[in-house]
Amino acid sequence: MKTENDKPIARQKRRSASQWAVAWRRFRRNKAGVAGLIIVLAVVFLGLFGDFFAPYPAFPNPHYLDPLYKGDVRKPPSATYPLGTDGIGSDVYSDILHGTKYALYVGVVVTIITMAIAITVGAIAGYFGGWVDNVLMRFTEVFLVFPSLLFILIFVRVFTLGAGVGTYFNFLGISVPVGLTIVVLVLAIFNWPGDARMIRGEFLRVRELEFVEAEKALGAGNRRIIFRHILPNILSSIIVVASLTIAYAILLEAAVSFLGFGDANTMTWGQILENNFNYMQTAWWAELFPGLAILITVFGFNLLGDGLSDALNPRLRD
Amino acid sequence: MLESNRAKGGRAGLPNRLRGFLGSSMFRYIIRRLLYMIPVAIGISIIAFITMYAAGDPVALATAGKPNLTEAVRKALTAYYGLDKPIPVQYLNWLANILQLNFGKSLYGGQPVNHIIGPRIWPTIELQIVSLLIAFGISIPIAVHSARKPYSKEDVTVTSLSLFGVSMPTFWFGLILIIVFSYMLGWLPSAGAAGNPYLWWGNSTLDTIAHLILPVTVLVYVSLAQNIRLIRANMLEQLRSDYVLAARASGISERKVVYRYALRNAITPAVTFLGIALGGMIAGAPMTEYVFGWPGLGKQYVQSTLNLDFPTIMGITMIITVMTLLANLIMDILYVYIDPRVRIR
Repeated sequence: MKTENDKPIARQKRRSASQWAVAWRRFRRNKAGVAGLIIVLAVVFLGLFGDFFAPYPAFPNPHYLDPLYKGDVRKPPSATYPLGTDGIGSDVYSDILHGTKYALYVGVVVTIITMAIAITVGAIAGYFGGWVDNVLMRFTEVFLVFPSLLFILIFVRVFTLGAGVGTYFNFLGISVPVGLTIVVLVLAIFNWPGDARMIRGEFLRVRELEFVEAEKALGAGNRRIIFRHILPNILSSIIVVASLTIAYAILLEAAVSFLGFGDANTMTWGQILENNFNYMQTAWWAELFPGLAILITVFGFNLLGDGLSDALNPRLRD
Repeated sequence: MLESNRAKGGRAGLPNRLRGFLGSSMFRYIIRRLLYMIPVAIGISIIAFITMYAAGDPVALATAGKPNLTEAVRKALTAYYGLDKPIPVQYLNWLANILQLNFGKSLYGGQPVNHIIGPRIWPTIELQIVSLLIAFGISIPIAVHSARKPYSKEDVTVTSLSLFGVSMPTFWFGLILIIVFSYMLGWLPSAGAAGNPYLWWGNSTLDTIAHLILPVTVLVYVSLAQNIRLIRANMLEQLRSDYVLAARASGISERKVVYRYALRNAITPAVTFLGIALGGMIAGAPMTEYVFGWPGLGKQYVQSTLNLDFPTIMGITMIITVMTLLANLIMDILYVYIDPRVRIR
């Protein structure tokens, strides 16, 4: 009995490994996708180790204003300050390096929460249908129609009132800014409906395939069908959407910070842009380079997402 | 063959069908869609109302920075704004006032919200409509051209540029335009709507245009990228279908095949998307208006939300909701006109 059960599983594993290998081979041929992957890897590297390359420390450390004490406020890019100094006299190059980890934090955590909610809701709606499906569809329609940025701004403003700006909480030995985390949670709350709709569609599609019917005939429970059979089959779509969601979350956080709603004590790229908005005429470099950092990072994740989409879902090509 | 006949027949039969639609069924459809908007609008208003109260007592929040205020003054303020009543009662009162187009008084300065919002509605609509028209005028020919030769050099340029477009923060693109065209070149005004502090390019019409150019460019570029990606994808799908092959085989000119048959079918999904794109543009309004100091609803919204001026926030939220829903309704009606296959029940 046992040996008979083991055999198909082993075979299935080998086949699934080769499926990913095929996707990787297809992905490797896609220049844009590989470029995206390289950008993403570079951003991840800078997110992890960028602090060590920065000539000046990050914001709470008073030495971040050392250029100011040398009288170097709003200095254009030079050998000393590769990207110039900003409106209050800190080094733009260091600020951007320090900001990389926040961009990644926002992108990754928003995406994890978004996907967790979206997969749960999408799976229930797509698999069981019925009133859950109806409610979800009406709900996501409202979200698709209504400009959610407006609600994101109110929520962020209201929820950051209670939390002290500039406070941190400890997560596995890393101190995480509370204000930025609130922004992340609000973004996730407003981001999941679109993704849930997509996952619901995938569930609807796969639910009707023969192998699910066969599994049902063999007496498998709903949970087994959802987790062991349908989810692995739509994993590729989930990976693609996750990559695009990271890009979108980074853009949204930058907008929220730029409009003055972000955590003023956490120098995300959007926050640097906001701080220098009034010095735009005299220190354009402090607006140009942080924005370029956002653009390149988001572009990288978008390229990666498109490349993954081509490699994993060839039938969706074009 | 059948498909191509239908494409021809659809075109010839369109005016007649339209006349039919203009009868009672179209009217009923519009009425039903208007009724459908009511629960959505009420839902959004309830969410907004609850959010306000999630923050705590609005008066305490609005006066948080002013320790000199006595308890009596706070109480008087609470009574003045009707905040001493139970929340459902407050909501119903507010709703009743809204239906009479009275949005209450601002917590920030105390002037009627109508006076704050009123003059800002038109500048926002002006910006949105101009951008939307230009965006669609440009994106259709580019997308069609790009789809006709997929994976050619031009196509790759267009697709990667549009991916670049969706990767760019809206507001940052605006900042760069201001830096280049206002500060460095001095060609265009950096902020405001018109006539402030002097007329650009001599007269007031040109002045209005001068002020519109940069914000419209930003809004167009942002929606352009999305539109091109969408229309191109639809166009590719249509150009591969059998009726196009049949039309080409029967010797119809390539131009006619592309623009008359394929484009017509590719454009219909884009019209639905136009509604969503409009929502996106309105959502982008706070950023664009903030960057360009445009005196519209979006800029006021940012200001009022930072000030926690709840009656104004609610007022703008409701106006934008209604604007978005109406725009979507117009798109849906357009859809019926463009695509003869859509029948309204």
